[in-house]
Amino acid sequence: MQNKSCRGLIVFGLVLLSTGSLTGCLEIQQVAENAARGSGNERLAKTIHGGGNLIGGLLPIGYEEEQTIGQAIALQVIARYGGVYDQPNLTRYVNLVGRSVALTCDRADIEYRFAVLNHDSINAFAAPAGYIFVTRGLLKTIRNEAELATVLGHEIGHVTQKHILDIIQRSKQIAGVAEAGLAFANKNPDAFKNVIDGAVKKLLDEGLDQSKELESDRLGVIFASRVGYDPTAYVTFLDRLRTIKGDDQAFFKTHPNFSNRLSVVQSTIREQGLQATGILLADRFSRSSNGTL
Amino acid sequence: MNHRCALLAMMVSFVTALTMTDTAFGETVYVAAKTAQMRSGKTSLDPVVASLKLGETLEVVKRDNRWLQVQTTKGVTGWIYSSNVSASKPAGGDNELAALGRSFRRTDASSVTASAGARGLDKASEGYANRSGITQQQRDAVDRMTAYKISDEEIQAFLKSGRLGEYAE
Repeated sequence: MQNKSCRGLIVFGLVLLSTGSLTGCLEIQQVAENAARGSGNERLAKTIHGGGNLIGGLLPIGYEEEQTIGQAIALQVIARYGGVYDQPNLTRYVNLVGRSVALTCDRADIEYRFAVLNHDSINAFAAPAGYIFVTRGLLKTIRNEAELATVLGHEIGHVTQKHILDIIQRSKQIAGVAEAGLAFANKNPDAFKNVIDGAVKKLLDEGLDQSKELESDRLGVIFASRVGYDPTAYVTFLDRLRTIKGDDQAFFKTHPNFSNRLSVVQSTIREQGLQATGILLADRFSRSSNGTL
Repeated sequence: MNHRCALLAMMVSFVTALTMTDTAFGETVYVAAKTAQMRSGKTSLDPVVASLKLGETLEVVKRDNRWLQVQTTKGVTGWIYSSNVSASKPAGGDNELAALGRSFRRTDASSVTASAGARGLDKASEGYANRSGITQQQRDAVDRMTAYKISDEEIQAFLKSGRLGEYAE
C-alpha cells in the first residue's frame, strides 16, 4: 500500500515537473521533495530530487555552462596546437573580420573571440561560446579577406548550431550522467574532465559528423554574404584546398570530401540567391598578414 | 438554400481576404544584428537617427532595394540596411529550456566568473587546466581571448573601409 502511494507521489511529481513553468517546476519539485522528507520517506525525497537532475540532464545546456565548456576546450586546443601565435596586428585583423561576420549571424547575441594558432597544419576549430581558432598554416593558404570571412563563417556556424554541445549532450545521456552543470563540474572535476576530453577527441581527432560540417559550410557562405563578401570566394578556397590536400587520408578522417562540400556550397549560393559581389579585399588581407605568416 | 450558402461563403472569403491584406501591410521585422544603425536616408552617408539593439521590433513602412524604411515602437522612423533585420525574432541568450535545464542541474552561480567579456578563467575551467597539465602561458592565452575587446565603432569603421554591409556602393 505504501509502495502504491509512493509510486503515485513520484508520478504526480514527475508529471508536474514536466508540465509546469520554470519557477513553478522548481517550487513544485521542492514541495514534493519536502513532503516526502516530512513523511519520513528519505528515499522518495532523493528520488524526486534525482528526477529533477535527470530532467536537467535531458534539457539543453545554458550559456553560462557553455562558456565553461568552451573555455576548457579552448585550453586543450591551444595546448595541442602550439599555443597562440603572438602577432597583435594579425590577431586584431582576424577578430575584426570574424566579428564583422558574426554581427549578423544567426546567434548574434553572444561574444565571438578569434585567435591564430602557431601551427603549420591547415585547420580551424570552434569551441562552444564562440572560441574560434585558425592555424597559421590555414592563413598561409588564404588569398583574400572574403576567403577568410567564409572560413570564419563556417566556424561561427558550428557555434550557432551548438554542434559540440550537441555531442556533449548526447554523450551525457549515453553515459547516464544526468548533471553537467557548473556545480557538478566543481564537485566532480574528474567526471567533468572526462566530458571535456571526450568533446576534444571528437573535435580534434575524430571530427564532427559530416552533416554538421556540411551544415557549417552552408552557413559560412550565408553569414559572409550577409556582410557583403563574395560567397564564391569559399568555392575558390575549397578548390585550392582540394589541390593541396590531394588524397591526405588523415584530413578526410575529419572532413567530408571536397566534391560533396563544393556541391553543397554551390547549391546554397544558387538556392539562397547569394550575390557574387566581387568584394574579395585581397589587398587588405595581404597588408594585414604581410610578413607575419 | 444553395444560393444562400454560396453567398455566405463568398462573404466569408471577402472578409478573410480583407483581413489578410491588412496583415500584409503591417509587416513586422526584427533587428538581427548585435547593433544596427537607423539612418535618415537610404545610404550609409545619411545621418544616424537611432542605434538599434538585437531583437528590437520594427514596422516596415516601405522597401527600396536593399534598404527598408521602418518605424520603431517609440515611433521613430528611418532607414535600415536589409541584412540587419530578419522576419523572425532572433533567439537571445538561453532559451527557456536551457534555463530550465540549468536550474534543475542546480548550477552554482557563485562559481561563475566568466560572464561575457569578464576576465579570468572560471573555477571549473581552472580545475580542468590543473588536471590536464595546461601551462600558465596557455591559461593566459584563453584568458586574453576571453577578455579581448573590439568596440562596435571599430567594427563599423572596419566595414566602412571595406565597403561592406550598409557601406557597400
